Amino acid sequence: MENNGRRKFLGVCLAGASAAAAAAAVYPVFRYLAPRSDQQGSNKVEFAESDLPAGEAKFFEYAGSSAVLVKTSAGAVVALSAVCTHLGCIVQWEKDKQDFLCPCHAGRYTPDGTVVSGPPPRPLAKIPVSVANGKITVG
Amino acid sequence: MALIKRLYNWLDLRIGAKEIVEQELTGYLLPRNINEWYSLGSVLLVIFTLQVVTGLLLLVYYVPDAEKAFKSVTYIMNELPYGWLIRLCHAVGSNMMVAVLIMHMLSTLFMKSYKSPRELNWLTGFLLFTLVQGISLTGYLLPWSQLSFWATTVATNSAAAIPVVGPYLVEFLRGSKLVGPATLGRFFALHVGVIPAVIAGLIGAHLFCLKRTGISTPPFGDQVETGSHWNPEHYRYESHPGGIPFFPNYALQDLTSIGVYFAVFLAVVFFAPNLLFTPDAFIPANAFQTPAHIKPEWYFLANYQTLKIFPSELLGLSVQAAAMTFLALLPFIDRSPERNPFKRPLFLVCFFGGFLLWVGLSVWGHYS
Ligand code: HEM
Ligand code: FES
Repeated sequence: MENNGRRKFLGVCLAGASAAAAAAAVYPVFRYLAPRSDQQGSNKVEFAESDLPAGEAKFFEYAGSSAVLVKTSAGAVVALSAVCTHLGCIVQWEKDKQDFLCPCHAGRYTPDGTVVSGPPPRPLAKIPVSVANGKITVG
Repeated sequence: MALIKRLYNWLDLRIGAKEIVEQELTGYLLPRNINEWYSLGSVLLVIFTLQVVTGLLLLVYYVPDAEKAFKSVTYIMNELPYGWLIRLCHAVGSNMMVAVLIMHMLSTLFMKSYKSPRELNWLTGFLLFTLVQGISLTGYLLPWSQLSFWATTVATNSAAAIPVVGPYLVEFLRGSKLVGPATLGRFFALHVGVIPAVIAGLIGAHLFCLKRTGISTPPFGDQVETGSHWNPEHYRYESHPGGIPFFPNYALQDLTSIGVYFAVFLAVVFFAPNLLFTPDAFIPANAFQTPAHIKPEWYFLANYQTLKIFPSELLGLSVQAAAMTFLALLPFIDRSPERNPFKRPLFLVCFFGGFLLWVGLSVWGHYS
């Protein structure tokens, strides 16, 4: 019986050492392949207000994802995530209709991101934006 | 434990797992006087696997473009988490593979296991050796550093000594008159695509021959018949009735050797990471500036020095070609059935003399 206990103990040691070695190999590989957080763009973006005429939209990269800035014909400035809430396509600005169309499954949003028609379940996510001294600051 | 047993039974009922284990592992008997040197083949299999895995990981970020290659390697080394580890494992591993390959070759040479009926084992092994040299040479260029660039220039240039076709051959190897972006393209394709596939195939052939012939009996010790009992009239599998089982006995030796290998390999990776890199390895390739001391990697130093000592490059090249051909065809040249090296004084002298000559030339090449 004593012999069996020793066998078991050594078995557990061996299994433990193997698990530790496997973890020591897998962890660096995971870190090596993991997407890098410091690459995801800066968190504040600035534009000159004159760059954005009323009724136009401007697409840009924000926090590693796509965002859009719109100035409605009424003159309000809105910043939205450009990622459609249905299956993640990027919405397009339709200047003539003054709305967003998602080309994937024809989801439609108003300039402030509210769903008008189509499959999107939620409005486009809002991004904080402020206008001061002729500068638009997003984020 | 019980779960593993049940899973094993489940598998056995479907694919006859126990029969395979009985045939290939517990019932696969090896000569009683088998020694440590027979585990080097398993070590090589592990190294090759590791080279494939680390190579694929490097491919995720490496860019094979003359403008970007050096930058991408620097990025892997300095910025990616554990990129240095992956790259060092690949670079150090390639050198270790050549070293272990040489040991494996020397041991099968010394124990004369290349003799009939194992000529094909030796030949496939010899081809593997040249291909591993080839994969190291092509891989050396990829970081596109001063070291890679000029080592490749010198290495490819030696083919120019071949009469008539030499100069064209050099251009063909490089894909352009001088080493340049075209060279990187073809070396990259060879290094990550062509050569690994051929090596994998040859490893298969090497192991197939081993399986069909049966493992050789070491030619030492008392209970051994040292002469090959091979009968040239019939195919016969060399079995070892009453031998030790591969599993667990020899598998433990394989594991031990792999453990010792990892100790040495990781010691270099962690404690001497710059062993292989000269300062020129940290400078991007510059086609207009040859650095002062361009030397090939250690395992090519003997070839390098041989080229230098002969008055004509053609002569130096021919001598090397002759030596390689002699080694490749050794099983057909040395045909005596006696396998005990201690009963073959001439062989012993050639074996140690040849090895010392190779070491001597390498050391000379290093300091010249
Ligand atoms: C990628 C490189 C190689 C791998 C993965 C490899 C693998 C193996 C393995 C697993 C074995 C069986 C166990 C052993 O005796 O070690 C073996 C046997 C053998 N190898 Fe290799 N090998 C390689 C290269 C070479 C080279 C370069 C030579 C010599 C030119 C060679 C000659 C032999 C011989 C003659 C045997 C038979 C040994 C015997 O039956 O006693 N191998 N190899
Ligand atoms: S992804 Fe936009 S509507 Fe389907």
